[in-house]
Amino acid sequence: MPPGPPQRVRDDRFGALSVVVLAGFGLVVLGLLRLQVVQHDELTRLAEQNRVRLDVLRAPRGEIRDRLGRVLADNQPAFDVVFRPMPAESAASASAAITPAWIAQVAALIGDDTLDVRRRVSEANHTGQTAVLRRNSPYAVMAAVEELRADLPGLDVQVSPIRRYPEGAAAAQLLGYAGEINEEELERRKEDGYRLGDLIGKTGVERRYEEMLRGNDGAEFVVVNAMGKRVSGLEGSPPRPPVAGHDVTLTLDLDVQRALDEAMSGVDHGAAVAMDPRDGSVLAMVSRPLFDPNEFASGISFARWRELTADGGNPLLNRAIQSAYPPGSTFKVISMLAGLNYHVVSAGSRMPEPCTGGFYFGGRRFRCWDASGHGSVNLVEALTHSCDVYFYQLGLELGLDRMMTIAHDLGLGQRTGIDLPAEAKGLVPDDDYYAKRYGTQHWPRGLLLNLGIGQGELLATPLQLATMTSIVANGGHPVRPHVVKSIEGYQGFRIERPLEPGLKTDPGNWQTVHTAMEDVVETGTAQAVKIPGIPVAGKTGTAQNPHGRDHAVFVCYAPADRPTIALAIVAENSGHGGSVCAPIAAYTLKRVLLGDSLATAPPRLALTPADSLRYPSD
Amino acid sequence: MTRGRLPDLDWPLALATLGLIVMGLFTVYSATSVPGAHQGLWMKQLLWCGLAFIAAWIVAAIHFRLYDSLAWPLYGVSLLLLVAVLVAGTTRMGARRWIELGPIQFQPSELAKLATTFVLARYFDNARLNLRRARWWLPPLLIMTVPFLLVAKEPDLGTAMSFPAMLVAMYFWAGMRPGRLLLGLSPAFNVALFFVTGSIWWFAGLFAALLAFARPKLSLLLAIVALNGVVAWQLPRLWNHLHDYQKRRIETFVNPETDPTGAGYQIIQSKIAIGSGGVLGKGYLKGSQKALAFLPMRHTDFIFSVVGEEFGLIGALTAVLLYAVVIIRGFRLAAVARDGFAGLLVVGVVTALFFHIMVNILMTVGWAPVTGVPLPFLSYGGTALVVNCVQIGLLQNVALRRREY
Repeated sequence: MPPGPPQRVRDDRFGALSVVVLAGFGLVVLGLLRLQVVQHDELTRLAEQNRVRLDVLRAPRGEIRDRLGRVLADNQPAFDVVFRPMPAESAASASAAITPAWIAQVAALIGDDTLDVRRRVSEANHTGQTAVLRRNSPYAVMAAVEELRADLPGLDVQVSPIRRYPEGAAAAQLLGYAGEINEEELERRKEDGYRLGDLIGKTGVERRYEEMLRGNDGAEFVVVNAMGKRVSGLEGSPPRPPVAGHDVTLTLDLDVQRALDEAMSGVDHGAAVAMDPRDGSVLAMVSRPLFDPNEFASGISFARWRELTADGGNPLLNRAIQSAYPPGSTFKVISMLAGLNYHVVSAGSRMPEPCTGGFYFGGRRFRCWDASGHGSVNLVEALTHSCDVYFYQLGLELGLDRMMTIAHDLGLGQRTGIDLPAEAKGLVPDDDYYAKRYGTQHWPRGLLLNLGIGQGELLATPLQLATMTSIVANGGHPVRPHVVKSIEGYQGFRIERPLEPGLKTDPGNWQTVHTAMEDVVETGTAQAVKIPGIPVAGKTGTAQNPHGRDHAVFVCYAPADRPTIALAIVAENSGHGGSVCAPIAAYTLKRVLLGDSLATAPPRLALTPADSLRYPSD
Repeated sequence: MTRGRLPDLDWPLALATLGLIVMGLFTVYSATSVPGAHQGLWMKQLLWCGLAFIAAWIVAAIHFRLYDSLAWPLYGVSLLLLVAVLVAGTTRMGARRWIELGPIQFQPSELAKLATTFVLARYFDNARLNLRRARWWLPPLLIMTVPFLLVAKEPDLGTAMSFPAMLVAMYFWAGMRPGRLLLGLSPAFNVALFFVTGSIWWFAGLFAALLAFARPKLSLLLAIVALNGVVAWQLPRLWNHLHDYQKRRIETFVNPETDPTGAGYQIIQSKIAIGSGGVLGKGYLKGSQKALAFLPMRHTDFIFSVVGEEFGLIGALTAVLLYAVVIIRGFRLAAVARDGFAGLLVVGVVTALFFHIMVNILMTVGWAPVTGVPLPFLSYGGTALVVNCVQIGLLQNVALRRREY
């Protein structure tokens, strides 16, 4: 072991350390002298006369607007009944002021139970911070509180912003709502500075953009008197003003939203998405049943919630992105593209078997929806009339991989990455999927027939269908579905790049698909969408529903030569896409592209005998 | 180890420690004597005192040479525990600091602090040591940085900062020139001054004075100037790239009085409690601020505020005096001890104690950010008391053997 440094060196170093130590303790002594001698009188006054309380100055949330600046969500003042902790000189007098009578009277006043009031009051006394007893009180309660306040020490009224949604149920699931933070959220987000009583986005845009929408609360130290009333601000500690949250501008167009809402008014359960096929911005999103976010913003009772969900539909569920449906015959567009892309067929190709109303495979008859049969049709005609027999055979020739590769390229089977929470993924089955279900290499080839016409295991959200339609409409360019266009004053916001690869294929193939989809509207299954002067391209579909009546599906884009809007519509349990959804699309497109004057009344859903046909049958 | 050596204890150190512990017991009793508080805590604390005394005795009895030879294994174990606490530790108030061993909760950061001191002392206790060369001064920096980062990640910034503080003092004791030491620390001053003042000019002035004092060689001068240049150049960009809430946290750290979520509130209430105590204090058990629960964490992190309120300036200065005795007598042991390792060990241990005392008391008078560091010997808390007494045990260990080489 080496010896330490010599004694003289050690003494010198000890001397230096002592200087540092004495300086440190000197600083402490100065700090004590400052507080206990210099500021003694001032601090004693604060301690004795009364106390300092921290008041939070609530920052308003950012507003949400449509693409033209029309307000979809803003704030309005609400009156809260609050309890200000007692600034009495001793613990005894503080607890003496809050008698059981006090608690009973206050509980009766605000219509709450005494246990809850007692809990909140004692918590406030413990932390020294204001407790909200009743949020958003009606005028009558406020008047009563004002009247009785002199007899009820600590009781006060405070103004704080709550959320207002002036358009009511329009795009409610997309906007979501903001409400008072609950205990679970508080526990999870305490690190981010949330406190009891704060507003927080619960669903939709309000939740996804919480960080930007949420303001930065201000604070003020106030000196209060024995009644808990503010006497003055605290000297030398100016209030920090609240900073409002960032305003968010959506890609949503309120005119399109209103048109689509009206068009969908006859649908009990279902969803529709309108998208700009050029960049994937969402123009409108409807999910039925509807709900009014204003009701949720101030807290909703359990009874009311039961009432809203009485018919089995959860209105908070955004069916446009959270429910996945079989795409039905709208998937034939993908089968067709796959056939063209892999040179299995061309526009004029016919299949070996003409349509006689059915097709035999593996000892089983697969029926065409039109029992009378389509005869011998080429590819374009097959799509126009949605001939199942043609696409059964095309599915067989293509095989699983090629069909599903194109489905992926058009955005199915994966989340689109839209800036909304809880998006569903849908399902595009592949080899692995079937291997798990049926055992490796043992899955029946008959599945290919059903996949060719969009039945079987395939599942897609209405948003995915709108995305698929957009990519078809723009000739294969990928799009990133999104709902937020810009955020005011927020640096670094940008719309993410598209996830999907899109589809690069021969321009002639696109020409063929576009022509066929226009024929669907001109002479095929969707003639209800015909609009004078504006070419529309579309595809009808009917999604098999093992639990009840089939879902009607329809996708389209317009104007067909220079598309500016793509639509996907799903109406649950209502039958044929052509007869149910096409009129909805027609109404919407007329309103959006031609203006209000030419629009007819919204379509009513009348069940025609044709709707009750099983489609496709098996 | 033997009774015959007992007179060699450093008695002023021992008595000052005892005085602080007694003062702590009385204050914890007072702080928890209000309605709604856990009123039996002082008894629990008394039991911990017994345990802490036994622990200190054992630590003092074992020859420090054993700590020297066990330094690296202990260091390795403590790093593993620090990683374990991050992965599987118990979260309290947003920080993962504890490992639960049955009824006992244990903070690996405390063991890491001691083990790091042992390793550094062992490292610096080397005849060939030449702190002018990077080959020699760089390794201890790495030895300190690993546990520092792990503890900071918990997050426990208060405890983490005691690691660099310890290292700086040990560099000094091992012979690094003060000028060079300050130059090495200059990027830290740079960042701190930027966040406190919001401008780089304060640091620029300080830096110039520092260069004049230290007169480094040209190569070192260029390296340090370049390092600080990069830091000063990148800081504002870094600041602008932070999210609003991240900026808010830093602002709160620098200036707690603007924080509406609690830290600022605590500081104001602590200042009112201490200030209203005046010179003579309000009298034992008569503090009004602590009684109303306006003073948060009054029996743990803010116990010094209760001392200030009830015992006044007289009581607070008494506590400060006792602390000064512990620290000065502690450092004096380093000067007295002939063994190189023992001297370095003492410097590391005393610096850590001194750092915690400063951070806590300066916080209660409003001159340091709120970091959640307990006050040694006074605050309620069994683990902390045991660890602090173990530290005193290490000092007495050296006192017992100060004449050995």
